[in-house]
Amino acid sequence: MVAPTEGYNLRLYVAGQTPKSIAAIANLQKICETHLPGRYNITIIDLMKDPALAQRDQIVAIPTLIRHLPEPLKRIIGDLSNAEKVLVGLDIAPT
Amino acid sequence: MDKPDIDRLALLHTASDAEETVRAIYQGAVDAVVVQGRNGPQIVTLSGADEPYRVLVERMSDGALTVSTEGVILYVNRRLSEMTGEDAGALIGKQFASLFVGEVPRDISTWTQPADGGVRYEVNLARGAEESLPVSVWAGPVALGDQPAALVTISDMSVQRRAEEIAAAERFARSILEQATDAILVLDPGGRITHASWAAEQLVQTSPIGRQFSDAFPLVTADPTQAGALERYSAAMFDSLLATRPFHGLEVRLRGGGDNGRTFLLSAGPLLDQAKQTVGSIVTLTDISARKRAEEQQTMLVAELNHRVKNILAIVQSIATQTARNAGSLDGFKDTFGGRLRALSVAHDVLTKTRWGGVELTQLLKEIMSPYRERVSIEGPPLLMPSQSIVPLSMVLHELMTNAAKYGALSAAGHISLSWQKDGSPPAVRMTWREQGGPPVSVGARRGFGTMLIERVVAYDLEGAAELDFQPGGLLCLLSFPIGSGLRIAQEEPPASAAALG
Repeated sequence: MVAPTEGYNLRLYVAGQTPKSIAAIANLQKICETHLPGRYNITIIDLMKDPALAQRDQIVAIPTLIRHLPEPLKRIIGDLSNAEKVLVGLDIAPT
Repeated sequence: MDKPDIDRLALLHTASDAEETVRAIYQGAVDAVVVQGRNGPQIVTLSGADEPYRVLVERMSDGALTVSTEGVILYVNRRLSEMTGEDAGALIGKQFASLFVGEVPRDISTWTQPADGGVRYEVNLARGAEESLPVSVWAGPVALGDQPAALVTISDMSVQRRAEEIAAAERFARSILEQATDAILVLDPGGRITHASWAAEQLVQTSPIGRQFSDAFPLVTADPTQAGALERYSAAMFDSLLATRPFHGLEVRLRGGGDNGRTFLLSAGPLLDQAKQTVGSIVTLTDISARKRAEEQQTMLVAELNHRVKNILAIVQSIATQTARNAGSLDGFKDTFGGRLRALSVAHDVLTKTRWGGVELTQLLKEIMSPYRERVSIEGPPLLMPSQSIVPLSMVLHELMTNAAKYGALSAAGHISLSWQKDGSPPAVRMTWREQGGPPVSVGARRGFGTMLIERVVAYDLEGAAELDFQPGGLLCLLSFPIGSGLRIAQEEPPASAAALG
């Protein structure tokens, strides 16, 4: 469990406007605003525009969320519609 | 997914990550995968063949984006990134309303939940920290999978606004040209007319647009002191001069007199574009005919005034000399001279009132005889007396009146009848002055300078004759003088029969 004062640096890899990419963006925004207000930074990376960026975090399936900070690196695949699973995967205590 | 890909996953990820990835793929939690192609990684979508639409949206000339019902930007195309100056990655996840600056409609939050048919607004799109673009925004409902969202297009209106501004400026300039009373012409650098005001078209009775200026408006100098100012140039040289250099204050006329001899003031100034480059000139022809006529009239009036003042001084000098010669004493001189000057003054007042245009005889007599209006009756047809007869006739009547006041009817409780008629060929005025009720008259004592002045003035200035008959009952004076071409009957006036003075 990370200390609540530490910020979350998140990268969401999407593929243009595929339904699950769209859903993942919306769901992640909602979860972060609810549980990490003011403590998160999201970078959205559209692999349709630059597929080579997939190599950086070794992305295979899309959408994929990567937690870069706090360490260790965490990876959640899917449209993030299951908030509880996301919170667990990111080690965030539900508020 | 091929077995080699799965193997690659296993090599690249920790066992749990790989397991998670494979499970997600098989459970349908993802709708795209990254495969290793010949030129590096490639994205393969699993949910449908939407690639053509994606390319289409990416290449649109308008900005396009999808927004969640909560107002979060989910996707932006390349054009919107260009319009805002921000990368797609920086825009995705932002609030939709943060794209705009300036006055934003209060209901902007409802744009992301638009009804069927969509909504359209005109707002300003933020472009960096300082700039903004006028844009037209359309937002309509769209379903992304099972997620309701808004599809938004943003059109750059700056080009259209600029075109509208140019069109408005053109209309403004055109209305000035149409309303202007001066002839205004716009020339290109070669001296060809590109625009003309309504007044300019009226001047040449046709549209001069497209013609060379000198061809449409052949000019000659109107002011003798500027002679040759135009004529030293050829038409082509003059057009070029007008189109490239400021030009002011030349008085001109249209050659051929098609403009009824009107005089114009010619001016020209350069027409500059936004870069302050000369792109032609604006030429104006201001009609100064009225001003020129007024100037000529003023010159004539000054000369006329000078002439009249000299005439009056000559008359005054003559009256003074004659009065002094016949005066018995200084007091007598003062009375007589003063009375004659007043008569002269009354005559000039009458002339001034009628602007030296002729005086109706009845009106003149009323003015002269006004000190005795109760005791003088006048009768005769309306006659308009020419201005040159007014002073001599006034002097004659003044002498008769003074004589009557001193010795005749007006020195006692008498009465004067003054009548006239027009007769003879050539026509002449015959005027009768008859005194009654005065003291008895003796001939010898009454023939003084006044009597002599009457006879001389009538003879020399009115080219007529005066007969003075000192009858015992009162003076009878018959004046006759031609009315000539300058005298005419005032047809509009009612007969002044037996009108009492005053």
